Parts: sequence; C-alpha cells; structure tokens
Amino acid sequence: MPPVLRKAVLYLCLVAAAIIFVLPLWWAILSSFRPNDAIFRDLFPFTPRALWPEPFTLDAYVAIFERGFGAIIANTLLVAALTTALGLVVNALAGFAFALFDFPGKSTVLGIVVVSFMLPFEAIAMPLYTVVSQLGWIDHVAALVVPSVANGLAVFLFYQFFQQVPKDYSEAARLEGAGWLRILWSVYVPLSLPTCISAGLMLFIFQWEAFLWPLLAMPAQQFKVIQVGMAAFQDQYTTAWNQLFGAAVITALIPMLLLIPLQRYYVQGLAGSGIKG
Amino acid sequence: MNRSPIKLLVLTLAPALLGLAVFRAYPIGLALYESLYTTIGGERAFIGLGNYLDLLTDAGFWKSLRVTLWFNLIINPLQVALALALALMFVQKLPGMAVFRLLFLIPIGISLPVAVIIWRIVLLPEGFLNGVLGGVGLGPYRFLTSPDFALYSIIAIATWKGVSYWMIFLVGGLQNIPPEIGEAARLEGASPWQRLWLITLPLLRPTLLFVLVADVTINFLLFAPVFMLTGGGPRGSTNVLMYEAYKSGFVFGDMGRAMAIVVCLVALLLVIVGIQFRLLSSAPPKETP
Repeated sequence: MPPVLRKAVLYLCLVAAAIIFVLPLWWAILSSFRPNDAIFRDLFPFTPRALWPEPFTLDAYVAIFERGFGAIIANTLLVAALTTALGLVVNALAGFAFALFDFPGKSTVLGIVVVSFMLPFEAIAMPLYTVVSQLGWIDHVAALVVPSVANGLAVFLFYQFFQQVPKDYSEAARLEGAGWLRILWSVYVPLSLPTCISAGLMLFIFQWEAFLWPLLAMPAQQFKVIQVGMAAFQDQYTTAWNQLFGAAVITALIPMLLLIPLQRYYVQGLAGSGIKG
Repeated sequence: MNRSPIKLLVLTLAPALLGLAVFRAYPIGLALYESLYTTIGGERAFIGLGNYLDLLTDAGFWKSLRVTLWFNLIINPLQVALALALALMFVQKLPGMAVFRLLFLIPIGISLPVAVIIWRIVLLPEGFLNGVLGGVGLGPYRFLTSPDFALYSIIAIATWKGVSYWMIFLVGGLQNIPPEIGEAARLEGASPWQRLWLITLPLLRPTLLFVLVADVTINFLLFAPVFMLTGGGPRGSTNVLMYEAYKSGFVFGDMGRAMAIVVCLVALLLVIVGIQFRLLSSAPPKETP
C-alpha cells in the first residue's frame, strides 16, 4: 500500500472511531438542554439540526435538583472521599510493611493480597451481603465504605513504589533516632505522591461507579449513591428523557473533572499493574 | 519511639489484612457454605449438594448458562480485537493525534450505568440511531425489545464503554516494545502487516494475555446492563447467570440456589482462565530472523 493511501485509511479509521465514541455522548449532552418534547425532533427524517441544542433550556437540570439529585451527589462524594482517605492510610501502611520488613510467610501473604484484586467485587457481592448483614450494617453507610477500604491493588502499588526507595534514606533517619511511622510519614509519603494519586483515583472511581453492591447493601434506598440513584430515576421517570440525560451528564462529569487533569497518573498506575501483573 | 518490629508489623499490616480477610476471603467461604443450605419455607435446612443437583435438572439454569457462554464467546474476542486496533492507532505519530487520543479516552470517565442510560434512549425505536439509519433507508429496529437484537445491543453498549479501558493496558505494552526492533525489520523490507504479526503481537503477548483474562473475568460477571435494560428478557435472551443468581437470591429469596449459581459461575471462570493461561502463556513462537 502506498504511504499516502495508508495515511488516508488510518485517518478514516481514526475519524470513524472518534465519531462512535463521541456522537452518542454529544446527542445526550445536547438533549439534556432541550425541552422534553423536542428530544426526538429532526430525527425522522434525519437533519443535521438534530445535532444542535435548539430550542435551548435548563429545565432538565432544574428539575433534577428539585428531585433531590444534589443529595445523591453529596452522598456519593462522602462515601468516595471516606473510602479514598481510609484506603490510602490502610493500604500504604501495608505496602510499607511488605516493602521494608521481612517476616515468615511474607511472599505467600503478599501473593494472596495481589491475587485478591483479580477476583472482581461482583463475584463476592452476594455472599458479602450475608457478611454485612451479620455485622448489622445493612442500610448503613459503613456497608458501602468499610468493605472497599482494603484493596489488594492499592497495597501492591504502594509496595512496588516503597521497594524502590533506597534503604539509605530510612537507615539515615533510624540513626537520627526517628521511629518507623515517623520515617513513613516524613520520608516515604512525600516521595510517593504520584502513587498516592493513582491509588486514590482508583479507590475514588471504584466507589463512584459502584452499582451492584450499593444496590444490595442499601435496600431501603434512604441513602442513595449516584449510580443506583440514576437507575432508580430511570425506572421512575421513564419518559423524562431530557432529565435522564441531564442526570447521566452530571454523573459522568464529576469523575471526568478528576480524570482529565490527573489522567497521566491513572494511566500509569493501571498500565504499570497490567505489565507486572 | 521504641516499638519492637513485631508490634509495628501488626499495626501496619492488620488493617489491610483484616479487611481483605473479612470482606474478600470470608465471603468466598460463606458462599460455599450457604450453597449447601436451603431457606425455602422460612426455615434454613442443610441439604448437602441438593442445590447443585437441582441445578443439573433446572432448564432455566442451562438456558441461562448457554446465554452466558454465547455472550462471552462474542464479547471477549470482540473487545480485545477492538482494543488492540485502537491501541495501534493510539501510538501512531501523526498530526492531530493528541485530539484523537483524548476522544478515545472519554468512555473511561463514563460509568456503565451512565452508558446504559444514554444508549437506551439512543437505541429507542424513535431514537437517534434509528433516525440516522432511517436516513439511509434502514429500520426502524427494536434494538432492546426484540429477542433477536437485545443481547447484541448489550454487547455493543458494554464494548463501547469497555474498549478504551483495555486499550490503555495495550498502549502500555506497545510502548514497552523497543522501537529499534520494528525499525530494523522495516529496513529489512518487512511490510507493516508482517511487522504486526511477526514482531508486535508476539512481543505484546503477556499484555494481551492479561487483558484477555481480566476482560473475561469482568464480562462473566456483568450485571448492570441486564438489570437496567432488559431484566433478562425478552424471552430470557439476555438472562445471564449473574442476573439469574441475583433474581434467585434477592427477588425469590432462595439464597442457597443463588450461592450455588455464583459458585458454579466462579468455578467455570477459573477453569476458563486456567485454559487461557495454558494456551497463551507458553513461550512465544520462534521469530524468523
């Protein structure tokens, strides 16, 4: 194939892929700014005007927040922030212990921890329901936060990073009489900021996207998180298309705001785990 | 501070290990245990392998198993192939690539429930896709309510949402291949196609294996799109095992059967992952110099 033709085919594929990724989203965004009775306008027959938010209105967004979507967002932010904060502490501590100390059975325990994240949450969601109901946490926020705090992948990311820190640093600090926790806090943590960001993003996004577990663990639906709230919204207001789109846009927007500036760390964390795992 | 290392070890390791033991390991044991009991009629009773024996003669279970296997047989090769194609495009160095790279990453920020809501409306008989297809004289199709289309619509939605994520791992793998190898082959006169098959793919094998295994694991347990879109219908055409287990446990209150299905599902998954490792992780084939 001559190089010019090859380039043309490549661009054609790129544009086609980009259209498939972007077009449904674009239609969802513009439809969220239309009145509900104008959602399907200009489609039969299809005209390019279908791709422009006209007539324009913010009614959908006003209605969503009147129906309590603000509280749902706040709930989810609370759950995700708590999980991220606790998860960073708990998993960094474990990663630190695995990286710096030797103890009998270490490689076996580390192996089990690493394998534990290969088993998706969905596989244990139903038996986990029994565990959490034995603890009496059904319909409590603890049911959403506590089971997600310890995370094998996050432990592994910290372990991997802390292992690469030269031992001289900690030995020098030991000689000056610093305790291990102090060394972790003032030597290792500042060095591991990129790892903290990728592990933190992972924990946050995991909670933001959780669906099956909150559905099972919070049956009373008093405290709704965003993915479940959206699904319930869909059942309740089946034909309020513009509001459904509005809810979807808001739900997608918040993780995007985190991911776009921090995507480098997220991609590094993920791709790194894939190459080594 | 004069803590002995043992105390320190317990302090640092206990929270994570306890969490993993209680919320990861214990549920697995519990699933096995509960699958030996039945709760029908209010009383819990030990019935040994009764739930499993019932599944053997349960037509609903076998139909659901067939749907699950068919679904996975299509979606996994499709997602891995498309993710690979996207990754190969992603690493090209051409003017304007930065924009395409950003667009390719968009579905990662979108959760599966959000993708499902958007696509449900796009796929309505009066929705966007039928509008576009109508422009070229096709349709309208009942993408989600016809037993011929529903499963494939779910495959399309999950693929649209999932491929970018798998693409990231493959991009990482591609960037780990030293560019000199491809360059040397190009100077020797190898066509781009030959370079892909003889150099890139063999070197990418570990990453491809990881992506395939992780993708199969997720798709075997896929739940949200079926729950939100079809409820297993129309006529059981999308009733994957994970949804069948959910219905059993949380709609019909038969936790024993639900756990037995989950145990079968995870056991089947382990067998399939084991086979994939056996077939794919052997030494890469000899490369012709």
